Amino acid sequence: MNTQTVQSFDFRACISVLKSTGKKARNLRELRDIISVVSEDCLFHHTYQYFLKGHVLEYTSDFAHWAGESLEERALAERLANIDPYDLGSIDAVRRALVKVIDDYLLHFPEPREALAGDEFYFNETVSLVFPVGVRVKNLAEFLAAIKYVDAASIYYHFFEARMRLGSGKDDFSSWMDETLGKTELALKVRSIDPFMHSLEDIRRHVADAVEKVVRKEMEVFTP
Amino acid sequence: MISQYRGISPKADLILIQRLAEKFHDRSFLHVNSTKAGGGVAEILQRMLPIIESLGIAARWEVIQGDERFFEITKKIHNALQGTPERITKQMWQHHFEVNKNNLAKLNLDADAVLIHDPQPAPLVEFRGDGVWISRCHIDVSNPVEPVYRHLSRYFEKYDAIIFSVARFARALSIDEFIITPCIDPLSEKNRELTDEEVSEVMERLGVPTDRPIILQVSRFDRFKDPVGVIEAYRMVKKYDDCILVLAGSPATDDPEGEAVLDEVREFTADDLDVHILLLPPFSDRDINALQRAAHVVLQKSLKEGFGLTVAEAMWKGKAVIGGAVGGIPLQILHGANGFLVHSIEGTAFRIRQLLSNPDLAKTMGDKGREYVRVNFLITRQIRDYLSVWYALEHRGQSMLNV
Repeated sequence: MNTQTVQSFDFRACISVLKSTGKKARNLRELRDIISVVSEDCLFHHTYQYFLKGHVLEYTSDFAHWAGESLEERALAERLANIDPYDLGSIDAVRRALVKVIDDYLLHFPEPREALAGDEFYFNETVSLVFPVGVRVKNLAEFLAAIKYVDAASIYYHFFEARMRLGSGKDDFSSWMDETLGKTELALKVRSIDPFMHSLEDIRRHVADAVEKVVRKEMEVFTP
Repeated sequence: MISQYRGISPKADLILIQRLAEKFHDRSFLHVNSTKAGGGVAEILQRMLPIIESLGIAARWEVIQGDERFFEITKKIHNALQGTPERITKQMWQHHFEVNKNNLAKLNLDADAVLIHDPQPAPLVEFRGDGVWISRCHIDVSNPVEPVYRHLSRYFEKYDAIIFSVARFARALSIDEFIITPCIDPLSEKNRELTDEEVSEVMERLGVPTDRPIILQVSRFDRFKDPVGVIEAYRMVKKYDDCILVLAGSPATDDPEGEAVLDEVREFTADDLDVHILLLPPFSDRDINALQRAAHVVLQKSLKEGFGLTVAEAMWKGKAVIGGAVGGIPLQILHGANGFLVHSIEGTAFRIRQLLSNPDLAKTMGDKGREYVRVNFLITRQIRDYLSVWYALEHRGQSMLNV
C-alpha cells in the first residue's frame, strides 16, 4: 500500500471477469449438493462479491436472491440473506452455514418447487485483476478528494476485498488511518460502517462524511 | 483512440486496458470470423480492432471464405444451436471441416492470442499454433440440438477457453468458460450524442409528430418481438393518455413469417393515425438514435430474445425501458430500479401509464439506466474483458492477478 513514503496511500482497484463453472441447480436439493462441493472461488463470488453487482440490497447473496426471486421461497431467502460472510470470516464457514440453513429448511419443507427453465441457478466464479489506479494521497484532505473521485472498483477493493485479504475483518482505509496517521477514533468510525448493509456508493459516502468531519475540525483555527 | 472514451467509460476500465496493453505491447491478437460486413459481430469488430491496435497491440482480423453449401450448412448449425430442429449429416460436417482446412492457405493464424468467433471457423483449432486459442460463442446455446452441440464440443475442447455472452448459455466443458456480455459503442452513429436540431430533422423527415408523448419499440417485425402485443398495450394506454406509438424496424428477411407479421400489424392499425410503422433501410443508425432520444417511453416487449442490445441502446439515451423478462433483458433492466420487466400486455400498459404520469420517475430510472450501461455494457468494458481473459489464460490457476 505505502510504496513511496510511509504515509502515502496508493489507491488500487479490483475488476473481475466472470467465469462459469458449467454447473447449475434446478431446485433446492441440487443447490445444496452443489454448494457443498463447488470451489471456494465460486462461493466467494456468490456471497462476498454480491456487493459488486450494484443490486438493490433486498438480499445479501446470490443464493438468497435466487431462493426469493426464482423459487419464491421467501422464508428461506430471508434466512439465507441473514448469513453474514464478513462475520463468519472464512469461505468454509460460509459453506457450512449455507448448507445448514438449506438442510433445516428441507427438513420442514421437503418438496420445494423447481425453478422455471432458464431460471436455474448458474454457479459462476471470477478471475480478479488488481491494479494501481494512479492516485496517491499523503493526508486526510487528499484522501477526501480521492475517495470522491475514484471508481467504485477501488472502494470494493479497499473496503470489501481487504477484509478477506487482511483476514482481520479490517479494511484498508481504516488500517491506514489508524496505523499510519494515528487517527484511531476516525479509524473506528470507518470500521463501524457495516459492509453488509450498504452499496458501494453508500460506503463511499459514509467514509467521505466521516473523513470530512475530521478535516473540517482540524482546519478550523477559531471556533465561535 | 482510447482517449476518446475518457469522461464516458469508467476510469478504472480505461486504466486496466492501458496496463494490460503495456503487458501485451507488440504482441499479436488475431480475430477470425466468416464475414467482414453485416451482423453484430462484424459491426463491433470494426469498431473494436482499431482501438486495440492504437494501444500498441498488433490486432488483426481474418475472414474465412466458403462456398454456398458451406454457408447453408453453417446456417443450419447456427439454427440448431438455437434450438431449431436440424440434422447435420456426416458429409455436411466433413464439408464444414474441409472448407476450414482449405482456408489455411490464405490465412495467417500465427498470433499470441487467437479469438475465433462463432461456429463457422471453429474447426481451425485443429491447426492451432502455440498461442492462446479462445472460442467466442455469440449464439444463445441454452437449448441446442444435442448432437450438433456435441459435435462442435469436440472442437471447443481443443481451445484453451470459450467465451459465452450469458452465464446460462454455458455448459459443462473441460476448458475455462468465461462470460462476457455484448456491448454498445457510445461513439457510434447509433449512440453518439445528437443535437436537438438533429433529432427534430429526423422526426420531421420520418413524419413522426412530437406534440404528444412517443412510445417506441425498435425491432424486427417478427412474432418474438410481439408487435401486436405492443399495439394492444398502446390501445389500453390511449384511453388515459393521448400518445403516439412508433414501431420502427425492418422486416425479418430470413424469417418466412416476417411479411405476414408486418401485414398483420398494418391491418391491425390501419385506422389509427397515431400509430407509425417505420420500415427503416439498413444503416439507419442515426434515425434509430434520434427516435430513441425523442421517445418518452421505450419498449422491448419481446417474448423470446437473444441479448436484446436495443435495451442498452435506449438506456444509454437516458430512457426508462419496459422490457419482456426474457433472454438477456433481465441482465440489463433491474426491475423497479432502472426500468420495468413485464410479463403481459396488461403489465406493459400499466408501466407505460406509470412512466407517462410520473416524468420524475422516468427521469430517475433513465439516469440510473444510463449509468448501468456505462458501467456494464460499453465497448471499453468488452475490450477490457478480452484482454483480461488473455492475461488470465497466460497466468492459469490464479484467481487473483496483479497487473
